[in-house]
Amino acid sequence: MAILLYGLNHQSAPIALRERLVIADAELPATLLKLASAAGIEEAFLLSTCNRTEILVSGEPGCASSLAPFLVQVGGGIGREELERHAYLHVDGAAVRHLFRVTSSLDSMVVGEPQILGQVKTAYVLGRSTGTIRSVLEGLLQRAFAVAKQVRSSTGIGRAPVSIAHAAATRAREIFGDLGGHAVVVVGAGKMARLAAQHVTAGGVGSLTVVNRSWQGADELARELHGTSVAWERLFDVLEGADVVIVSTAAPHHVIDLEEAQRLARARRGRPIFLLDIAVPRNVDPRVNALENVYLYDLDDLRAVAEAGREERRREAEQAEAIVEQEAELYLDWARGLQASPTIVELRARLHDLGEAEMARFRGRLGPLSEEQSRVLEEFRIALLNKILHHPTLALKRAGSRPEGGGAIALLREAFGLDAEEPGDEGKGSGRGA
Amino acid sequence: MDAAVWWLRGALVSYAAGSLLAFVPWRRGGAPPSRPIAPWCAGLGALLHSVALLQTGWTLGRCPLGTLPEVLSVLAWAFTLAALWVWWRSRLDVVLAIEQPLAFFVLLLSQVLPRESFLAGAAPSPAFVRFHLTVILFGVAALSITFAASILYLAVDRALKAKRPIAAFRRLPSLEACDLLAYRSLAVAFALLTLGILSGAVINDAMTGAPWTWRREETLAILAWILLGAIVLARLGWGWRGRRASILMVLGFGLILLRMLGF
Repeated sequence: MAILLYGLNHQSAPIALRERLVIADAELPATLLKLASAAGIEEAFLLSTCNRTEILVSGEPGCASSLAPFLVQVGGGIGREELERHAYLHVDGAAVRHLFRVTSSLDSMVVGEPQILGQVKTAYVLGRSTGTIRSVLEGLLQRAFAVAKQVRSSTGIGRAPVSIAHAAATRAREIFGDLGGHAVVVVGAGKMARLAAQHVTAGGVGSLTVVNRSWQGADELARELHGTSVAWERLFDVLEGADVVIVSTAAPHHVIDLEEAQRLARARRGRPIFLLDIAVPRNVDPRVNALENVYLYDLDDLRAVAEAGREERRREAEQAEAIVEQEAELYLDWARGLQASPTIVELRARLHDLGEAEMARFRGRLGPLSEEQSRVLEEFRIALLNKILHHPTLALKRAGSRPEGGGAIALLREAFGLDAEEPGDEGKGSGRGA
Repeated sequence: MDAAVWWLRGALVSYAAGSLLAFVPWRRGGAPPSRPIAPWCAGLGALLHSVALLQTGWTLGRCPLGTLPEVLSVLAWAFTLAALWVWWRSRLDVVLAIEQPLAFFVLLLSQVLPRESFLAGAAPSPAFVRFHLTVILFGVAALSITFAASILYLAVDRALKAKRPIAAFRRLPSLEACDLLAYRSLAVAFALLTLGILSGAVINDAMTGAPWTWRREETLAILAWILLGAIVLARLGWGWRGRRASILMVLGFGLILLRMLGF
């Protein structure tokens, strides 16, 4: 049995192709059941997001040939050649590694983003509910979730901000911790102001006030972000009570100059204020950052923070890759061990059955035996068989832990006749010989 | 050798280990350890130190607060307990990075200073002196938390002003968390120190006939108390805080520590 992963993602395929393979939520169950019913496939899992469409199956190695036609069918008018130019097929160890990398967000467009784990879990729930995920994929996916959790908890892969808006929100939390009880003021109502405000207020804020020269723009943004709007003339009254100020107006001059900021800082009596000037040209006099307890960040500052965050994530990703590699090896060792387990169980059962049968046959010739004599004979039988089985069992375990151990297992099965049609007959033969 | 000395040496080693290990996560990239070791070192140190103090008291047949080294030893113990309390409440193990070296050096100093009794005159009662010393020591321990929080505040302020990348903040609490910890611990410290200074005046009066003798160490203590009182009042009255307040709190602790070390 093999594990196969077939699909394409943002690295391997252009969006023009990816968008044609996105499967609507409503169609996913039927599509998954159709995939699972293909020849040679025992279990199936289907992940479809805007950045990837991937199929994970367990089954006969030959079932790989049915995966591409399946995706061609899903994609409507996609040509097979075009699909195969952009798709990848991972088998066994490579499939496990790829799955672990995907769930750990190492294969994402923004490394470390948390959404992918949720998407994989949703796909897993669907697989469970449709019955296409059973023992093999269940174990593999559960392991993948555990690896993702380990990566997230023991590396900083998802922590550093990678976008300007995220950097602004993170820095605000470095000043105020939880923004729950704090006042946010948005000066301006443009696109950038909206985006930054959305990020900063995402975790909840005490209050949000929008101040804009155009009353209508202020009102619209305030309603969208569940805040209030205030007339432009009251800007500095509002700023006195603000903790985070996002400034992004179209004004070609400083909206907050040094003098006003000094007055503001005095009025706040040392309470910190975070000014985010994301306007170009800048709306806040850069000298304001020199004032005590006033922290001014402009676009370049935030860009530098975001770039440092990306660099940090890259460093953390190296550590995460090592974890994924190690965990994939552990999983594969375990899976290979499972490969040998049925043979070990069968071999032990076979030899013990033989032993019991031969013992029953020869006991009659010994005449009546006392209880003690019977017990000694039974102990002898078990001890002898265990000694005989010791080395083959070790050999099977060793073979099971090696990727190329399948041949050794097959040889042992043949040597002990485990795949014979009527094992009892062979047993009798060997008994006679003994 | 007295068994208490061995317990104290064990405590010293634990504090030293705690000091070093509290800094380790600062140097590391990546995620903070899920189970930091420094608090456990501090806890072990505090335990060994407690045994040493109990044994010393048992051997001497009195409370081990009769000499400057004994007072400093209890002060180091109180520093550790205060830091562990903060860690227990807020999991801010970064406070240990400041408190543990402090506890280590004060305990080390207590082992090299001459063991002369400073209670030469007639004190009103040993119990009253013990009360005075206890409130002072725990007041200074609370103030050490103010000191640690203020240092952290200044570090975060500096990093924010310099626009350092996020990694610089990994182990640091938010600016506001530092401010809140500093203010709360200062309120406790100021109340205890006020009680300590008042009880000290009573002891002074009984020993010398005057509540205030204008000795250098007394003047240092009252200066620090006035400074801390002014900060508390400014915060209560005007909500004053920020960088300057943090610098003054560091200065206040410095003055108090100098007084405690006998300068």
